[in-house]
Amino acid sequence: MGLIDKNLSLRNRRKLILGIFDDEDKLMDASSALVHEGVHIQDVYTPYPVHGLDRIIGVKRSNLSVVAFLCGLTGFSLACLMIWYMYVYDWPMNIGNKPERFTPSWIPIMFESTVLCTAYGMGFFFFIRNRLLHGIQPELLHDRQTDDTMVICIETGDGVNESKIVDIMRSKGATEVRERNGGVQTTI
Amino acid sequence: MIHDSLIRERLVTGGKTATDVTRDISRPILNKPSTSWKVGFTLSLVFLGIFVASLFWTLWTGIGVWNINKSVMWGWDITNFVWWVGIGHAGTLISAILLLFRQKWRMSINRSAEAMTIFAVICAAMFPVFHMGRVWVGYWALPLPNAFGSLWVNFNSPLLWDVFAISTYFSVSLLFWYIGLIPDIATIRDKVKGKYEKFFYRFFSMGWTGSTRTWARYELVSLILAGLSTPLVLSVHTIVSTDFATSVVPGWHTTIFPPYFVAGAIFSGFGMVATLLIVARKVMNYENYITIGHLDAMTKIIMLTGSLVGIAYLTELFIAWYSGVQYEQYAFMNRATGPYWWAYWSMMSCNVIAPQVFWFKWARTTPWFIFMMSIVVNVGMWFERFVIIVTSLHRDYLPSSWVMYSGSLTEVGLFLGTFGIFFTCFFLFAKFLPVINMSEVKTILRNRE
Repeated sequence: MGLIDKNLSLRNRRKLILGIFDDEDKLMDASSALVHEGVHIQDVYTPYPVHGLDRIIGVKRSNLSVVAFLCGLTGFSLACLMIWYMYVYDWPMNIGNKPERFTPSWIPIMFESTVLCTAYGMGFFFFIRNRLLHGIQPELLHDRQTDDTMVICIETGDGVNESKIVDIMRSKGATEVRERNGGVQTTI
Repeated sequence: MIHDSLIRERLVTGGKTATDVTRDISRPILNKPSTSWKVGFTLSLVFLGIFVASLFWTLWTGIGVWNINKSVMWGWDITNFVWWVGIGHAGTLISAILLLFRQKWRMSINRSAEAMTIFAVICAAMFPVFHMGRVWVGYWALPLPNAFGSLWVNFNSPLLWDVFAISTYFSVSLLFWYIGLIPDIATIRDKVKGKYEKFFYRFFSMGWTGSTRTWARYELVSLILAGLSTPLVLSVHTIVSTDFATSVVPGWHTTIFPPYFVAGAIFSGFGMVATLLIVARKVMNYENYITIGHLDAMTKIIMLTGSLVGIAYLTELFIAWYSGVQYEQYAFMNRATGPYWWAYWSMMSCNVIAPQVFWFKWARTTPWFIFMMSIVVNVGMWFERFVIIVTSLHRDYLPSSWVMYSGSLTEVGLFLGTFGIFFTCFFLFAKFLPVINMSEVKTILRNRE
């Protein structure tokens, strides 16, 4: 598994059927009905998070929490190593005759370092995994998909019954059904 | 089973749809700046000028231009530092702790509160940095090799913990704020027309499309960041309080400081959030998004934390008496009845007595009154830090070192100047970024349960 989620890219996709919705309940109904009929939904684009939709279209739970834990462990280890090296190994200092091995006074810096590395490590992998990079051109399917419109995106190919997909989308309240072929969209 | 709630009050009023939310929230960004924005921004720049002038004078002459002396070595500067850091706590509290508690009312106010956090921490950082005097060797506070001329840093010192805590807090808050902003920046990206605007919003939206796969991971990351920020926000003011609590100065050497400081920080932070949002909702016509219900909830938190702070004040007095240590007893007696009695009683009346008015519903639901009270809270919390720092230092164990202290014009200028930094940043934020989290607010339009 590569770091970048390849499912997110729409480049080099053959033909896409797009169902445009303006209501999240209708969108959920349509997605459920399509999945029930065995249709593989490539992705759904929404202007806000629609809870439960990821499970319907079969998005696996992310491993970012494991990544976060590993980053935290790294941060904690780095802080331990830094304090030990500077304070015990390289130049031990006697301040108020406090012990120079581990003391509770080391905990705040260990904690802060753990939090910092967890947050930034996880953030970094979140951006990479989701193909989020400064300045890249967004692959938009509808000019209002970040405003008030939701788009179900299905990649068609051999053995996919396109007319059934279109019928389900229409019957579940799609405001429009489009076809995208070679980057050009046409209303069906 | 999800259904429309029949009993809960709507979090967004006025029957708004997702289209309305985008239109309303992006209006200040897409339109030319209003007259009120221009006036406010100009005024902020004037204060910023005061900051620059005061800072120039401080650097040119040295911190001898401040009135701090060898007994009161921390004065307005550290008072302001703790005050600003405290204000910076509400943002993360609203975004992180209220997210974990699933308090949906936070959604309309978290964005501006987080922005406030970041700007307040910038203001706070100015004071310890310039209090170092020789600011050009300020990097000695970092754990760098001792070839720079000093030994390694002291890991037993709370001042070093502060360096780590404040920088971590600032960095993590910035990341949390930015990740939350990305979907909204994408919304603005798809609305703006100008070439430069398009480039700016495209750059910062990072190619966001609103894919369900991304949303799922985005929500997970937000939740983990909230889980991380919650102990972080508590740790920051705990560590700031140990700057005092680990010393042997009477009035500072107190184990109650960490929870007391955290409660005070949330109290003052909500005070400042209320000050800003009451003005913003009126000027920017956001009354349907930041409703009376929001103000009601915020004032309840102000009342709760104000009462916690009040209990802490009384506990301090009791423990000073109960300890039987004459220096502690004197420190607290001197606070209440000594030459700085006016500061102590200003603190008591602003922080403990005044917020009790929020027991009354009228007080919790009348914006102009909440605005006045939020100013009172901010003033009271400034006095709290002044009282803790100055009254403890000006008379300690050695009566021959007893002195009085009052801020010099430069110190006052620096303090007023940080308002310039804060409000300049805030006005720029209000002009170029959505003040309300559009993507989150769109999820609560239907009042679902």
